[in-house]
Amino acid sequence: MQIDEEKCVGCGNCVPVCTMGVISVVDGRSRVNEEECVECNTCYRTLRSEDHNPTLVRAARWVLRQFRLAYDPAPDVCPTGALTPPTLTWPRSLRATFSDPTIKHPSTGTGGRGTEEIKSNDVTGRLKPGEIGFVVELGRPGLGARLRDLQTVAMALAEAGVRFEPKNPVTHLMTDTAVGILREDVLNEKVMSAIIECRAEAERAPGVLATLRRVASEIESVLSAGVAARCGPDGSVPYAEVVRASGFTLSLNAKTNLGLGRPLFEERSEPAQTSAGRA
Amino acid sequence: MTNTLHRQGTPDSLAGDYIVFLTPAGGINREGCGEKKRRFLRLALSEGPVNLGADGKNLFTGGEPEQMIAAVTDESSVAATFSDPEAVRRLVGHLKRESLGISVNISGLAEEVDGILRSHGIVRHSIEHSLGVLGRIERLPTRQVLEITTMCGHGLISHNFARKMIDWVKLGKLTPRQAGRYLARPCVCGAFNIDRAADLLTKAVEMA
Repeated sequence: MQIDEEKCVGCGNCVPVCTMGVISVVDGRSRVNEEECVECNTCYRTLRSEDHNPTLVRAARWVLRQFRLAYDPAPDVCPTGALTPPTLTWPRSLRATFSDPTIKHPSTGTGGRGTEEIKSNDVTGRLKPGEIGFVVELGRPGLGARLRDLQTVAMALAEAGVRFEPKNPVTHLMTDTAVGILREDVLNEKVMSAIIECRAEAERAPGVLATLRRVASEIESVLSAGVAARCGPDGSVPYAEVVRASGFTLSLNAKTNLGLGRPLFEERSEPAQTSAGRA
Repeated sequence: MTNTLHRQGTPDSLAGDYIVFLTPAGGINREGCGEKKRRFLRLALSEGPVNLGADGKNLFTGGEPEQMIAAVTDESSVAATFSDPEAVRRLVGHLKRESLGISVNISGLAEEVDGILRSHGIVRHSIEHSLGVLGRIERLPTRQVLEITTMCGHGLISHNFARKMIDWVKLGKLTPRQAGRYLARPCVCGAFNIDRAADLLTKAVEMA
């Protein structure tokens, strides 16, 4: 993020909204620690520009100070419109695509973090019976992560026998999906979060979960982990027991695909086996 | 919408927190889905959501809901957030009757959602759970802050902004609902539940 020093009046509103906590007010002007900024553009989007004249705002602050009054703008404004998203070049541009959900990933054409998961599994059949999907989000919640950390986790998961989701922006950064290695020039980039998305046969799940727990202790940030599957014919959760046996606890809340998409995967691939009973 | 997967909170608090969203499948049913997404949002709006997300705007940044809905295209992400599970139950009924043909997902208490589906004769197709947070968890803020900030799973509501709003409510500069509206602004997907945020901010002040 760029902050125009001529315009900035040092109100400090951008400091708390910064997702990475890397904006500070120095000598009456907001400054960004560029090395730690993930280019999420949240400060720019959240703070409405009032487009006031900076000289007038500074004068008003000076007058208020004489009466021992604070200049206290509403928390969702930048009084002078001092914030501007910069034009980014590779590899720094990755920071924005992985951190600003309004920007589409060039590699997949998707916004957000670019995952498939179970969101359209009823139609795509991406996760099949007997498979378990894993989503491992580096940097979440709210700390951010270097892609070097992500590579550490991806390589460990690859060794545990997972297959990486091809339609995922992280997978597109890999030079070898068999071992989970990323291209060298992106490793030092910091992002809000990035999601390794992979799957494995159910029998491999204990090994994958044990690997996840082990490798999490080797990273500088945090990771949020998730597990997904196609439900049994009665709506049962196929991974419930293996997760518990591996020492993890399933969240009480979950994401549920209702099966209302059409055509269903079975209808597209094997018309004779249409699951008319569903939904 | 992995962004709705890792919301933190007590069972009581999560009992009033549901996100319903539509996801087309690229190359299969995405083309021409814009009208179906608009229909979804209008159905959702009729059931009193606490937030809507459409094309990077939410109810607190997007202007009039109908303007937001009219701008939706095939490429737009769409979501509706509810506090009342009965509203979700009614919306599921609408969606089943209308057969929009685009995949529908609900994030919320798994058993509550399953009960809603079964009341409509629907057996869930696929499911995804959070396994929690691993790694350097000592770097994370308090649970009180995380319960607020994890309502934007893209991480756009900073821990410091939540702390500031908690402080301002404590100081009486804002009501919990006013603070919730400010906190909702960064969350572009409309997944931030300001009813729940107001409850959490109220509790934070009571605990102070």
